[in-house]
Amino acid sequence: MDGIEIVKALASKGYMVEPDALDALGRDPDPGILDRLVSGLDPSALTVTRDDVARSLRAGNIAEQTARKPALRILSDITNNSTCIGDYDEFVGYFRDRYGRLGDMMRHRISARPIESIKKKGFSRGEKSEVAVIGMVSDVRDTANGNRLVELEDRTGSMGVLISKDKDFFDSPLLLDEVVGVSGTVKEGGLLMASGVIYPDVPNTNVPRRSDEPAAVALISDVHIGSNTFLEDPWMRFIDWLNGDSDAHHDLASRLKYVVVAGDMVDGIGVYPGQEKELHIADVYDQYRKAAEYFDQFPRHLKIVIAPGNHDAVRQAEPQPALPEEVRRMFRHPNVTFAGNPSAVEMEGVRLLIYHGRSLDDLVSNLPGASYSKPEKAMAELLKRRHLSPIYGGKVMIAPEAKDHFVIDPLPDIMHSGHVHTVGVCRYRGVTLVNSGTWQSQTDFQKRMNIQPDPARIPIVDLQNGDVKIVDFGE
Amino acid sequence: MLSDMAKTSEAQERYFKSLEGEFGRCRELAGRARSRGFDPQLEVEVPSANDLAERVEVLMGIPGLAPHIRKCEEKMSREEASLQVAADIAEGLVGRFDTKADAIQCAVRTAAAIITEGVVAAPLEGISQVSIAKNDDGTEYIKIYFAGPIRSAGGTAEALSVLAADYVRRKVGLAPYKPRPDVVERYVEEIALYKSIQHLQYTPTDEEIRLIVRNLPVCVDGEPTEDEEVQGYRDVTGVDTNRVRGGIALVIAEGLILKAPKVKKHVDKLKFDGWEFLDKVIAGSKPADESHDEKVKPKDKFLVDLIAGRPVFGHPSRAGGFRLRYGRGRNTGFAAAGIHPASMVIMDDFIATGTQLKVERPGKAAAMVPVDSVDGPTVRLMNGDVLYIGTVDQARAIKKDVSGILDNGEILINYGDFLENNHILMPSPYVLEWWEQDLALATKEKVQVRSAGEAFDVSEKYGVPLHPKYTLMWKDVSTEDILQLREHVVKTGRLEDGLRMPVEPRSKRTLELLLLPHEVRSGAVILDADRAALLVRCLGLNPDLSPKEADVSGLDPLDAVSKMSGVTIKDRALSRIGARMGRPEKSKMREMKPPVHVLFPVGDAGGNRRSLEDAAAFTRNMNDRAGLIEVEMGRRKCPGCGAVTFRNRCDCGAHTLPYYGCPDCKIDNITGACPKCGKPATPNVRMKVDLKGLYAEALENLGERGNYEILKGVQGLISSEMTPEPLEKGVLRAKHGVYMFKDGTVRYDLSDVPLTHFKPREIGLSLEKLKQLGYEKDVYGRPPESGEQVFELKVQDIVLSHDCSTYLIKTAGFIDDLLEKFYGLPRYYNVSSEEELIGHLVIGLAPHTSAGVLGRILGFTGASAGYAHPFFHAAKRRNCDGDEDCVMLLMDGLINFSRSYLPDRRGGKMDAPLVLSMRIDPKEVDKESHNVDVMARYPREFYLATLEYKSPKDLEKMMDLVSRRLGTPAQYEGFMFTNDTGDIAAGPTNSAYKTLGSMEDKLKAQLELGRRLRAVDEKDVAERVINSHFLPDLIGNLRAFSTQQMRCVKCGARYRRPPLCGTCPKCGGRVILTVHEGAVTKYMEVSINIAREYGVSSYTLQRLELLDLSIKSLFENDKSKQVILSDFM
Repeated sequence: MDGIEIVKALASKGYMVEPDALDALGRDPDPGILDRLVSGLDPSALTVTRDDVARSLRAGNIAEQTARKPALRILSDITNNSTCIGDYDEFVGYFRDRYGRLGDMMRHRISARPIESIKKKGFSRGEKSEVAVIGMVSDVRDTANGNRLVELEDRTGSMGVLISKDKDFFDSPLLLDEVVGVSGTVKEGGLLMASGVIYPDVPNTNVPRRSDEPAAVALISDVHIGSNTFLEDPWMRFIDWLNGDSDAHHDLASRLKYVVVAGDMVDGIGVYPGQEKELHIADVYDQYRKAAEYFDQFPRHLKIVIAPGNHDAVRQAEPQPALPEEVRRMFRHPNVTFAGNPSAVEMEGVRLLIYHGRSLDDLVSNLPGASYSKPEKAMAELLKRRHLSPIYGGKVMIAPEAKDHFVIDPLPDIMHSGHVHTVGVCRYRGVTLVNSGTWQSQTDFQKRMNIQPDPARIPIVDLQNGDVKIVDFGE
Repeated sequence: MLSDMAKTSEAQERYFKSLEGEFGRCRELAGRARSRGFDPQLEVEVPSANDLAERVEVLMGIPGLAPHIRKCEEKMSREEASLQVAADIAEGLVGRFDTKADAIQCAVRTAAAIITEGVVAAPLEGISQVSIAKNDDGTEYIKIYFAGPIRSAGGTAEALSVLAADYVRRKVGLAPYKPRPDVVERYVEEIALYKSIQHLQYTPTDEEIRLIVRNLPVCVDGEPTEDEEVQGYRDVTGVDTNRVRGGIALVIAEGLILKAPKVKKHVDKLKFDGWEFLDKVIAGSKPADESHDEKVKPKDKFLVDLIAGRPVFGHPSRAGGFRLRYGRGRNTGFAAAGIHPASMVIMDDFIATGTQLKVERPGKAAAMVPVDSVDGPTVRLMNGDVLYIGTVDQARAIKKDVSGILDNGEILINYGDFLENNHILMPSPYVLEWWEQDLALATKEKVQVRSAGEAFDVSEKYGVPLHPKYTLMWKDVSTEDILQLREHVVKTGRLEDGLRMPVEPRSKRTLELLLLPHEVRSGAVILDADRAALLVRCLGLNPDLSPKEADVSGLDPLDAVSKMSGVTIKDRALSRIGARMGRPEKSKMREMKPPVHVLFPVGDAGGNRRSLEDAAAFTRNMNDRAGLIEVEMGRRKCPGCGAVTFRNRCDCGAHTLPYYGCPDCKIDNITGACPKCGKPATPNVRMKVDLKGLYAEALENLGERGNYEILKGVQGLISSEMTPEPLEKGVLRAKHGVYMFKDGTVRYDLSDVPLTHFKPREIGLSLEKLKQLGYEKDVYGRPPESGEQVFELKVQDIVLSHDCSTYLIKTAGFIDDLLEKFYGLPRYYNVSSEEELIGHLVIGLAPHTSAGVLGRILGFTGASAGYAHPFFHAAKRRNCDGDEDCVMLLMDGLINFSRSYLPDRRGGKMDAPLVLSMRIDPKEVDKESHNVDVMARYPREFYLATLEYKSPKDLEKMMDLVSRRLGTPAQYEGFMFTNDTGDIAAGPTNSAYKTLGSMEDKLKAQLELGRRLRAVDEKDVAERVINSHFLPDLIGNLRAFSTQQMRCVKCGARYRRPPLCGTCPKCGGRVILTVHEGAVTKYMEVSINIAREYGVSSYTLQRLELLDLSIKSLFENDKSKQVILSDFM
């Protein structure tokens, strides 16, 4: 095949080719490369560039690719850093840390005036000019007149805040134990009439980091190995696909460098009453052994990050440390990294926040409009609050660590959750939000709870542009 | 009334009249006390009712209802009458209502009230509202809101009130309910969620719930009862709340599904359409009566949710466990079963009179009582001896030496309990009562069986099976075991003073399993002469131990020994009943938490202990006046002088009335809603009270000096009009050391146990008093001469515990002081001894009910339980399967009870004597008591029928049941029993469960007993305790720790999370955790220890180890792991 034939072949697919690209393809390219090249091209593009060729060449040579070590590092994680011993002061410290760090994010954005302490002396006499406070929500109630009465608290004390039903921010919900900034005037008796509420939020100016090199990450969670509803066939198709033994989305597979597991890799034991009846493997360590066998079949060049969830063999109280040593040593794949829940990792310069997603249960019960079928919406609400699990005392069990690991700081470029067994993808102010579904078919429990799982579908995020493709391994 | 006369004999009528006479005297005196005006009402607030109709009328508050109910009851069954009355109300024949919905609501409630005999508050409290709503097609349907207290109505009433609603719906012409699909799914999710929070007798399948909800012609709705919210089907149109509604779960699962056969019966009779789905429900749910191929299957349901410290006495149907014996003792029946008191002692005192056992069959549970005419236990001692234990003293003497309990002894269960539970009859062992009837068929001669020899002679002569006393447990061994034993005896046995042979494991074990007592001395098994003769004969040996010719190969053990011995040998252990401890027995004064002497608010001023004296000396600031406290109370106005006060009696002497107003808008004297703000008017306001002055005045009025440790008030009042009690009542209660209940009365709680006959001696009743109380003849018609004679108990006489008498004497002292010093009236009781208390009247009242039953104290026993006639318990809607309820002195109820004190919240009217039943009519008490059998002997045909697993219903005709005596004088008199007992309070006074200290001690004792009991698999016990008690506790506490609330030690304020300032924002006090590490970890170590020691399954062990890991991770710092000394060396 000479140069002219190459030009003709590409023209027949609707592409022109740059001279550099033609050079790079060489005199006598393997027709396979040409196919890969075309399948990897953006359909809206007109010309084939040298970069396009370079990418398809790399994809054709996995061995060459693995020679370049992708950068992966853990930014934050509780593993081996748990200091909690469960006393009262730790609980106080935990919430103070949350208040301090989230408060600092807002301190300069509320108003030009200095932020007042909630227990300011003069408040009980009322204050005509506008004031601003930062507080943690300790109670939210609807009044008889349809307004909302919020109790806000800081380290000095607490005060009532009235949000009138005719304010435009009345509809944005307030969650218990989140930290917000409120501006307004103070009535006699000390009640603050809100004129504005702000959240820590993601700055409007946020520009996400991107990888320089072509790279993609597959986000999975809730595999539930060991359960009798674990979908082994689709899972094996996924492994085949990773190994290039499948035609579908071959380009994507070839660009894949990372796989992240956001918890519940195994079904565990004793997680709910009567679980033993729904287990295929009744020994939790055997479940991990099976998991290790599967992961051993992943291509060697892939970097794998494994974080725990509520079914895993680590403490249920969050933040959860990485899986214990006796489990870790079962994994023989050379590139497995174990992280905690939540944890922040950086891959190819792109920051990924991993959180299994237990708090999504609390959000679905407490946030109007949130549902299990659209987990990404709840995730966006969490990001807006810059906190993975604001509500205390609900489904999420907490370990009162010195630092509140749920505070979202620094800002991630990708946020990855699971737990709810439905796939959801969206973007919020530049951050890619992904919930990664499951590998388990609908359980009786989910049927009762009206949860339709979305099994065997994998969101794959392109680290160069944050775009997400979903690959379906189901029937 | 003529019909009444026919129901009672003259003697019985005299008894009732004497109760009524005494009641009248009490009522007159109480009325005088009340008329002084110190109480919320001027009259006694416990109205008496003579029958069901009257009780329902009082409960529903509809004048003219009673005659109507009586009319309907004459013609039809209770259930049909309830439906008819409901329809009549809805159609406007009785009562007057503003709206259609109100009429329907009253109709449905009345139906439920009639079915529950007008005794429980559930119709009022459990059916909270009825409304009319619209289907999607615009037609109108009925919605009934059920609330939590509907539980106390029971499944039948729950189901039938839905049926009544449909009946009413048809009468008033409303459309059937057509639920949307998402509403149906909401029920499915919600009921499953409810089951995970609260107990449900039956867990319906998803399909069953769908079937019911889709097809019910009326809508079963409910108030939210739990804090939990559904997650899947939220904000469903047509359902008002996302929270869990307990009422719907109860009515659908325990009512409509479990009672589907009963509902079906009425649907068929009334020819209703639209209820055909019941057939599918009945077909789908577990059948109430077992089918025949299931007849001998062991059931392990009674072992579910096993708790630490409550031992298992026998795994399902396992050899060595309690052997079923049919019959009724004078203190058994009505869900109470009898065991030998020696068995109670041998079970390490875990069973006492009144202890509840969960049993394998026929019902779910039964109270245990001592009956010494059934078999006691057989044990093996450390030295190898096997011993039958026939007395309590013997049991106590050898208890320490017991190495194994080979047999628990018999359990006496009456036919009626099988009938009540509709449980097919289990095969009866060959018992004396049966043998005697076999013999009577063969001869009229009187024969004696004093030895094994005589036993064989009788059998040979008359062709009857071998006497039960000489019948061993042949079915528990194999024919091979028997032949091996035979060979061992032939080869090694020596006859000298009995039979002596060397100890050899297999033959020794065979003797043990046969329960043939023997001794082991210097390596030899020794049988006494009589037992030796028995064994030799059964094994087919000649008296010189030489074997007779006998080919028994291929025969089962009974046939083999019958053939070898030459006489028919039957079995003595055909059915074994598995059992484990349920609840311990109870005999305890009722206290509120925290305990209270007087319903008078002290707010925070009384401190944690709610001390009235502390509050009377309280100052918040230096310049405050001491004892001037601010509390919320109801205002009352004097109709005479117009003064406004919180007191019931004005200083001018007039009786005051609640005074309503709007405290926010400062408007007085209004009823209904405030004209300005629209809120409902209330008499309740925060007011300053000079407690110091009031207290001093109260002491002075009484002439008391306050000689008691503490006088406890309440933090705040919770009744709707917040009426406080006069302080004087509290002073006198504190003086006499009695505590009160929320309704103003002093109560004592006792486990319910049944009694139909008594001996004066065992209940501490003198013959003189006996005659005084109208007992003229014993059960055989002889006049009273000895304390050991057996008398038939009159239906409203009760026997209490000694501990109870002590408390009632104190209470009587309080009442007398109250009458004399407060009301200025003569003392009434004047009792200082137990004996003097006998003959006084009490009110019996069960929790969840609101109708008391008049009772008379007949005596006392050492047992920690309350013995009363089954009818007396049934009148309170209790049976004796572990239920408990209370007694209070009649005068206390009449003087001190007031509806004004009852809490203003759902369920507040429960457990209060809103009405008093004067006279027990067996027809109008819980029907369960109609299934009590009262014969002196069960017929031979009965025993034969049990061998065929007959349904108890098939035998109803041959048994003398209460149901057959209803409506005649025989319903009260002429009862008999099959098994006598020496003393109804024999055996341990209290269960070891109550006397052992820590949970670990109890658990140890439980497992230790399990090790010794042949019928118990202690490994299974360990596994179950871990799974059903420790693991849920560990998981629950771990979860609670990580989501816990905080509390201020100073003011008691609770916080959902710690305040950011660290200290209490209200009072500056120190805030602490409410769940501590200790609470989380308390069972960890013991769980892992017993898991390893008893070798539980690896799944369970692994769960424990994972939890241990979790706990360590939460409570141990990674950075400073505990260092041990060796780290420094």
